[in-house]
Amino acid sequence: MAGTTTPQAPAAAGQTRRSRRLRHGWATPYLFILPFGVLFILFFIVPIFYAIDQSFYKTQRNGLGLGAATTAFNGLANYHDVFTDGAFYASVGRVLLYGIVQVPVMLGVALGLALLMDAAAIRFRNFFRLAFFVPYAVPGIIAALLWGFLYDPQLSPIVKGIRSIGFGSFDLLGSGTILWSIANIATWGWTGYNMLIIYAALQAISPEIYEAARMDGCTALGVARYIKIPLVAPALVLTAVFSIIGTLQLFNEPSVLRAISNSISSSYTPNLYAYNVGFGDNNYYYAAAIAVVLALVTFIFSFGFLRITQRQAGV
Amino acid sequence: MPSSFRARWLRRLAVGIALTSLTVASATPLSARAQHSRATVNLTIWSWVPKLDTAVAVFNSTHPGIHVTWDLVPALGFYPKLETALKGHNAPDLAQVEFQALPTFESTGSLVDLSKYGASSYRSKFVSWTWNQVSLGKAIYAIPQDTGPMAMYYRKDIFDKYHIAVPKTWAAYAAAAATLHKANAKYYIADFSPSDPGNFAGLVWQAGGRWFRINQQAQAWKVGINDPASKQVAQFWQGLLDKKLVRTDPGFANGWYHDAQTGGLCTWISAVWGANTIMVNAPNTKGDWRVAPMPQWKAGQHVVGNWGGSTTVVTADSKHPKEATLFAEFLNSNLKSVDKMVTGAQIYPALTGGQDLQSVNAPMPFYGNQDINRVFQNESRYVDTSWQWGPTMVQVYTDWQDGAGNAASGKTTLPQVLDQVQQSTIAGMKKQGFSVQQ
Repeated sequence: MAGTTTPQAPAAAGQTRRSRRLRHGWATPYLFILPFGVLFILFFIVPIFYAIDQSFYKTQRNGLGLGAATTAFNGLANYHDVFTDGAFYASVGRVLLYGIVQVPVMLGVALGLALLMDAAAIRFRNFFRLAFFVPYAVPGIIAALLWGFLYDPQLSPIVKGIRSIGFGSFDLLGSGTILWSIANIATWGWTGYNMLIIYAALQAISPEIYEAARMDGCTALGVARYIKIPLVAPALVLTAVFSIIGTLQLFNEPSVLRAISNSISSSYTPNLYAYNVGFGDNNYYYAAAIAVVLALVTFIFSFGFLRITQRQAGV
Repeated sequence: MPSSFRARWLRRLAVGIALTSLTVASATPLSARAQHSRATVNLTIWSWVPKLDTAVAVFNSTHPGIHVTWDLVPALGFYPKLETALKGHNAPDLAQVEFQALPTFESTGSLVDLSKYGASSYRSKFVSWTWNQVSLGKAIYAIPQDTGPMAMYYRKDIFDKYHIAVPKTWAAYAAAAATLHKANAKYYIADFSPSDPGNFAGLVWQAGGRWFRINQQAQAWKVGINDPASKQVAQFWQGLLDKKLVRTDPGFANGWYHDAQTGGLCTWISAVWGANTIMVNAPNTKGDWRVAPMPQWKAGQHVVGNWGGSTTVVTADSKHPKEATLFAEFLNSNLKSVDKMVTGAQIYPALTGGQDLQSVNAPMPFYGNQDINRVFQNESRYVDTSWQWGPTMVQVYTDWQDGAGNAASGKTTLPQVLDQVQQSTIAGMKKQGFSVQQ
């Protein structure tokens, strides 16, 4: 009937126009991601698969070996070697010990600074926000080099100052202290970064909650303890996961300080070990196996931590 | 897809492909185009030797059909970079390779045998142990460039002040160590650097140790890192470490330079190129240092070790191995070219004729006007010619560094370190498939 079909026709025409517009714009988000995506796949994903592939081979030589070597399939033998390698276990143990101490300390300081900056009575907030972030802006290698000067017993004003006060001299690069000297460098560099993440999370809290708490007679410290910290728990979990991943991949500081300290071996951290095996011993295949196992360990620890905290915080 | 939309997409795709292919086409190497137009052979050499372009220019000006370009690649990370390039088949035509790294590169199979292009005729021009180290049977894998004969740099002013005679034997050296440190607790006879395995290898070289031997019949390696001579050297320095008569600062780092400047090390058993290191990093000690021969194990003996020295190799990726060999030979044997390298980089030539060059021999004001290179020239005649490097020297050196670091901290002893390095080297070589004779 004419009366019923006419209103349908404009509606149908509008629908095709809308769906045409939808289908017209379907590719736009992918186009925006494309440059990053291509580079990500080329320089991140492909090398990972290449490394996994390389970890199943070994070099084969005979006699004096002073000619080209052949590559042979080695199955899981490289992985068996990694799991029976004392140096690898020692390096993983070392970074775990480092992480257990350094991550809570650093996040504790970051949380404290973020809470202080969020306090109502603070002055020069922008100045402090910048000042705490500046150490992160210094490139890691340069920071390690500068700290190397501050740690070197012959050149360090810190060591000289402590000696002049009368506490005797102690070796910041010695075998008992080098791990914590490295932890110090990392803490200085990353506290500001983590603080900013936590501070941003604090800004997202609605001020009405604070008003309600104040009306209930809560002190500033109480507000921090019972309201702010629980509400920034997701940000804390995020920074903790990043820190765990970064700790397990520790490379910059030991590699720079190795030139001035006798206490950093070539297998001090798993990444340093993989680097030296790959580029020193030219055993790329074994280095690939070490790297894959390290990635698995990092995966287990970071996701394990996420799972535990999710269960507890109910996030 | 609506047709106008598809058409727009196809147009964009076509433009994109056209642009990409244009960029790719215009990126053809300059040398390839030059080759078509001028038929010059273009070669590249990777080297960390400063001011090498002055020596390269001598070659370029006398060889119109060949043009060599020098790529300054810093020493730090040089070998990993070269190995990666060789693996990727885009290595330069020529490269600088030190003697101890030669077997490692020979085992990549990527070095050209220069005897095919007549390099054997250059044998007599070079110091004999250098030619031994670049040859393997009849094959020649490199042309020697410079050497590092060792001697003892010492602080004449401090020795004179405490009436210490320049030690001629290692026993006298140990006695001098005790006397010096007792006289002034700030002064130490030397610094034992756990980061310089090459220095230790040079001392073992002098003592007659042989870390690697080749058994041609069995086509196998014999590893002797903990052989008696090496243990003798290790025990000597462990003794000094135990009595705290030497410092343990890692070499070529700020603490070590500070030692050189302040008497924290009053002698340095080092190579000819160390003269520059002291000059540059301990400028306040101008006029205080002199050079004397290394202490000997037996009085009256005269044996010398070597630390460092490098060669020029031609890689298998070179498209012009004949011209590259010609350049390698010229660079290292033409007196004008060698002279440029001496003045530009203070190298000590492996070319016997080069050791008499004016630029090499001159009194040096920093060393109290002593012509120190004449001392090294004489010492260089007594360098043991039978030393052989192994195919995994980076691993040997790294393991030694780890162990020596522990010894410096008191956690182990140097003789034990040698045993550990022996084990790990044999295990490492066997794992990589090298035949090792036990």
